[in-house]
Amino acid sequence: MLPQIDRRRFLSIGALTATVPGFLAKTGALLADDKSLGNRDRVLVVVQLAGGNDGLNTLIPFKDDAYYKARPKLAVPKGKSLKIADDFALHPEAGDLRGLFDAGHLGVVTNVGYPNPNRSHFRATEIWETGVPDKDTLTGWVGRYFDNECRGNPSPMLGLQLGEKPAMTFAHPKARAVTLTNPRLFEWDAGAAKAMEQLNAIRPTANPELDFLQRTGNDTLTLSRKIQDALKDTKTGAEYAPFNFSQSLKVVAQMIAADVPTRVYYVTLGGFDTHTSQDRRHAGLLQELSMGLASFARDLKALGHLDRTLVLTFSEFGRRVSENEQQGTDHGTAGVMFLAGGKVKAGVHGSRPDLSDLDEGDLRFKTDFRSVYSAVLKDWFAADASKVLGTEFKPLPIIA
Amino acid sequence: MKPTVTWDVAAASHLLSRTEFGGTPKRSEQLAARNLHDVVAALLDEAKAAVPPPKPGWVKEPWVNTERVYPETTPMERMENHRKAGQRQNSERNELRCWWLDHMIRTSAPLREVMTLFWHGHFTTEAKRMFVAQPLYTQNAALRKHALGNFREMLEAVTLDAAMMMYLNMEDSDPKKPNENFARELLELFTVGIGNYSERDIKEIARALTGWTLDAPPGTAKRPLVKDAPRSFCRDGLVPTFVKEKHDGGEKTVLGKTGKFGVQEVLDIVAAHPATARFVSTKLIAYFGASDLKNELRDRMAAKFGQTKGDIAAVLTVLFTSPEFFAKESRGTLIKSPVHLLVGACRLLNLDVTATPSLAQVTAAMGQELFNPPNVKGWPGGRDWISSGTLAVRYHLPEALFDGTEPAGFEPIGRERFFPLPADPDERRKLLKTLDSLDTQRAAERKKDGFKVTFDPAKAVGGAVPEKPEQVAEVLLTRLLAVPPREGARAALVQAVKDVAPAERVKLACRLILTTPEFQLA
Repeated sequence: MLPQIDRRRFLSIGALTATVPGFLAKTGALLADDKSLGNRDRVLVVVQLAGGNDGLNTLIPFKDDAYYKARPKLAVPKGKSLKIADDFALHPEAGDLRGLFDAGHLGVVTNVGYPNPNRSHFRATEIWETGVPDKDTLTGWVGRYFDNECRGNPSPMLGLQLGEKPAMTFAHPKARAVTLTNPRLFEWDAGAAKAMEQLNAIRPTANPELDFLQRTGNDTLTLSRKIQDALKDTKTGAEYAPFNFSQSLKVVAQMIAADVPTRVYYVTLGGFDTHTSQDRRHAGLLQELSMGLASFARDLKALGHLDRTLVLTFSEFGRRVSENEQQGTDHGTAGVMFLAGGKVKAGVHGSRPDLSDLDEGDLRFKTDFRSVYSAVLKDWFAADASKVLGTEFKPLPIIA
Repeated sequence: MKPTVTWDVAAASHLLSRTEFGGTPKRSEQLAARNLHDVVAALLDEAKAAVPPPKPGWVKEPWVNTERVYPETTPMERMENHRKAGQRQNSERNELRCWWLDHMIRTSAPLREVMTLFWHGHFTTEAKRMFVAQPLYTQNAALRKHALGNFREMLEAVTLDAAMMMYLNMEDSDPKKPNENFARELLELFTVGIGNYSERDIKEIARALTGWTLDAPPGTAKRPLVKDAPRSFCRDGLVPTFVKEKHDGGEKTVLGKTGKFGVQEVLDIVAAHPATARFVSTKLIAYFGASDLKNELRDRMAAKFGQTKGDIAAVLTVLFTSPEFFAKESRGTLIKSPVHLLVGACRLLNLDVTATPSLAQVTAAMGQELFNPPNVKGWPGGRDWISSGTLAVRYHLPEALFDGTEPAGFEPIGRERFFPLPADPDERRKLLKTLDSLDTQRAAERKKDGFKVTFDPAKAVGGAVPEKPEQVAEVLLTRLLAVPPREGARAALVQAVKDVAPAERVKLACRLILTTPEFQLA
């Protein structure tokens, strides 16, 4: 965990630079003019599987006896898993993911992690979100990408997150992302909206927290109309299940189809911290992931946006190879990432985890997650990946 | 030279804005007339002496498991009992949120609740992961009991406690493969903090904490078990019970100390560790919003923590009398938590309120659902409270408090997922339909009482309503804001107040002040 005070000090420096009224006035004017915001560029959707997804029961090394030995109760029985490659099968509830795989829209990265893995939810999440494992960093990897590569783009919603707590992936002193739980919260009656706009007009002060609030208040009110318009006018081409994750993807699909000026979306599917009674819970979560991504892909395909959309999933860690005594698994190390979209290189990427060579009961990773980020930055966004990541990582060939 | 505290009305108002959900101008003046050290001592004494709220009627001692299954229980009975228990516990959770919110709004010793809320975010339990409601109450009562007491005693009260044992899987942790969940969070989040322990310490503590289960009170006759029934269907009680045969009695090494440790020794070691004193002090400083760039305040608080063996009130005395707490950088710079925002508005405006589930949902929509923090780390606070989405909810607050209407979008956009849907399309459709009607039913139950809030202009201004619009605006700005309003905002407010009939002025001014950036700060 970062010392609170450093974070606050850091953010207040950010507030000073980002509260330039001219900058805000400009974005406000641009947002009012929909035509200037056409965005047919490529889009990334980051999916966080929060809690630590059990990689070994997601992408199952179904030929490996060590897998069954380590998990007498939790191993997916041989005949039930869904084979997608010589050595690998998907969890039985991930049928929709296999559908995407067969259609050439899904890539899977196996045994992905980083050196000296951390097993704390919070620190490990920070590592994945900042893309910096070896030292405390206050900016997210997408936040740095926005700062490096999108300076000419005035949109204050380059990043858009469906959720409660702003994701560190977008963190940057010059924040370019917004977070919202439910788009209906942005409905106001006309009278109230007008008065609020007057009271929230930006007037810089010497109080960094007040300036931060002014800035967010202004963004909130400015974006309200934009979001409402996007959701009102866009029809979706698919049915989504009535669950939080699926419904969030539906909103994202509507936004993508409405050409809002957003390049990276972020949604979360939580509940993967399966220390006890993992079986049904994990099955349910994988089913939700599969159904949600399948609906999303179907929807975008029908609306003609699948080829400009890339989905990337991550989780802070995989789980311990051996099950515990409460039909669950404890925090582990390397895990699995999915990539979905019209332009992914379908298949399983990376090398099979070696269950006979463990590090105190945990997997030794083979693929560094930053080589996946590097591919997204370089091959998807045509950005300078090493500048964003701070080091050169050879992009994993995951984009077709 | 060491800076000193200038104790005046502004300083008193600052202290109250952090410790009591905000104070009226009158109370600030009363406190300012006394000496700072006496004021802080009195605040803490009042908080310590406060009488806890009476427990909700549905809390039963001993607790009875109404969905317990026996060999003779038929599948139909089992389903029906489970359904009924789920329904009842849902309304119990709703009642619990209202019970606490109501007490926070009414209490004459708010600091006790401010501290209970602090510990609620420290020793968390997520209601969404608890199928039983009663432990949520029991844990809350324990946090309140020890909120200003001794840290080691509180640590034990929350460790050997049904809520924590269920939430972090200490219940039935088996010596063959000890569950590490509680051991990890004990070190990372509850005591020494990250960087002060190794993975080895976690494993060793997990071993030391094996052997605990939840059972009926001692002396109760054993009841027959059903093989392979989930734990929630066979629990006979919520009393932490030690089962020696299930405990790993071997030697363990924890944070450099070695012995045949059990729970007491582990708690002694972590509570007395110097990193714990620093960790808790740092969290208190952030929670109460003091600027401590050089960590000097933290070190003084940690030293007091060590000297007093974890006396929380003594540590808070250091904080509330410190130059850092009253420094310019510390004033008007703390972003209010949603609970602080709502409770503060109700208290400062003397609203006649009865907390209902709809009112409790307002803080939930702002990102702070009581009894249900987002994860085991609790609420991070500070700027993390604010995103476009949560600020939008904050700006809808006047609709709830002054109009008694619930804005759209307070419900999550979908359900949480924790089980697979059936593969058969017809069955799946049927289940989804059932879930949908369940959601509708739950939302209806939550909304059935609506809002019970009455606004009285004279009570809101704390006396006679001034005649001039400028005065109305000024009185309310002084009463409600912890920072001076920006000039443009003040002018816009005065103009808006002028534009309405005199009878509407106070309410409109309140409504508008609640939708300013300034009101978000304490």
